[in-house]
Amino acid sequence: MVFVLLLHRRESCFLGEIMFDIRIANIHIRIDNAYAYVFHLCREYLFETDELPELYIRVEDQEIAEEIAIAEHPVTKDYAEAVCIYRKICRQLPEHFQSFLMHSAVIEYNGEGYAFAAHSGTGKSTHISLWKKHFGEEVRIINGDKPILRFMDDRLYAFGTPWCGKEGWHTNASVPLKAICFLERSSVNTIRKIEPKEAIGKIFHQLLTPDDLKTVDALFPLLDRMLREVPCYLLGCNISEEAAGVAYKGMNGSST
Amino acid sequence: MKIKSGFVLRELAGEYVVVALGEASKIFNGIIKLNDSGRSIWELLSAGCEREEAIESMLKEYDVDRATVEADFDRFVEVLKGANILE
Repeated sequence: MVFVLLLHRRESCFLGEIMFDIRIANIHIRIDNAYAYVFHLCREYLFETDELPELYIRVEDQEIAEEIAIAEHPVTKDYAEAVCIYRKICRQLPEHFQSFLMHSAVIEYNGEGYAFAAHSGTGKSTHISLWKKHFGEEVRIINGDKPILRFMDDRLYAFGTPWCGKEGWHTNASVPLKAICFLERSSVNTIRKIEPKEAIGKIFHQLLTPDDLKTVDALFPLLDRMLREVPCYLLGCNISEEAAGVAYKGMNGSST
Repeated sequence: MKIKSGFVLRELAGEYVVVALGEASKIFNGIIKLNDSGRSIWELLSAGCEREEAIESMLKEYDVDRATVEADFDRFVEVLKGANILE
């Protein structure tokens, strides 16, 4: 990779690319950035091709300023730009790419994907760390926080993306989703399958709120299909290694 | 009495759900699940029906006595008002 020093159209002067292409969730995206941070963030997803991108993303200074204003913690402009870029990408997904962002931690084990979803702070990262501890190196983290889900070849796949939460856990890979597991803290480890109607409310908390009717009408058939095809579970778990074993067994045919 | 704009009713996995779009999601962030009669009331309110008109329509659609329909309607409206969804 050749780095060039450029005076950019906006206020910043930085080391990095000013426009670059990536491929995430099999979508070719061109990012027209103002700051270097997002380029470094995306370095494992760079896509070199002569083809035109399927999606072009550019964030204006005004949007970055708004993001900084609403952020829960103080954030820098370059970080805020990266956040805005991903949100812009994700808003396009349902309508144009039959896919969507679902806030969750996705791991791969034995070629199957497991998505863990919970209110932030519940312990998704802790739980998937337990899987690594329990099952070893065969467990691979696809995306620690913000995977893109997309139907392909009759199955729902979860994709790694560079946007993946504070731990920075992601892999440029995809995995077919075997199950979705909602986490709740509990003193004992228990798991049970839940019906789609119980899962609906829980899933909505993990999605980007649709902006318009077009997005709703594109997203709902995808959610409907996901709820019909991918089983959902509710796991009450503590932070002992046993939690990973109980979760695995529960999602593979035997319950506790 | 009308449902604020930005709320849409859709069917998902055999359930009726209401989601708030864009600006409306700042008023109400989440989803509302409705049963069949809830869906009817929602649609009547969305269409701008007033109380009497909505109750008459419910009486035609469901085999329930007037007192029950009135009580259900009023309770439904109270919940929506409480959630700041009606204007």
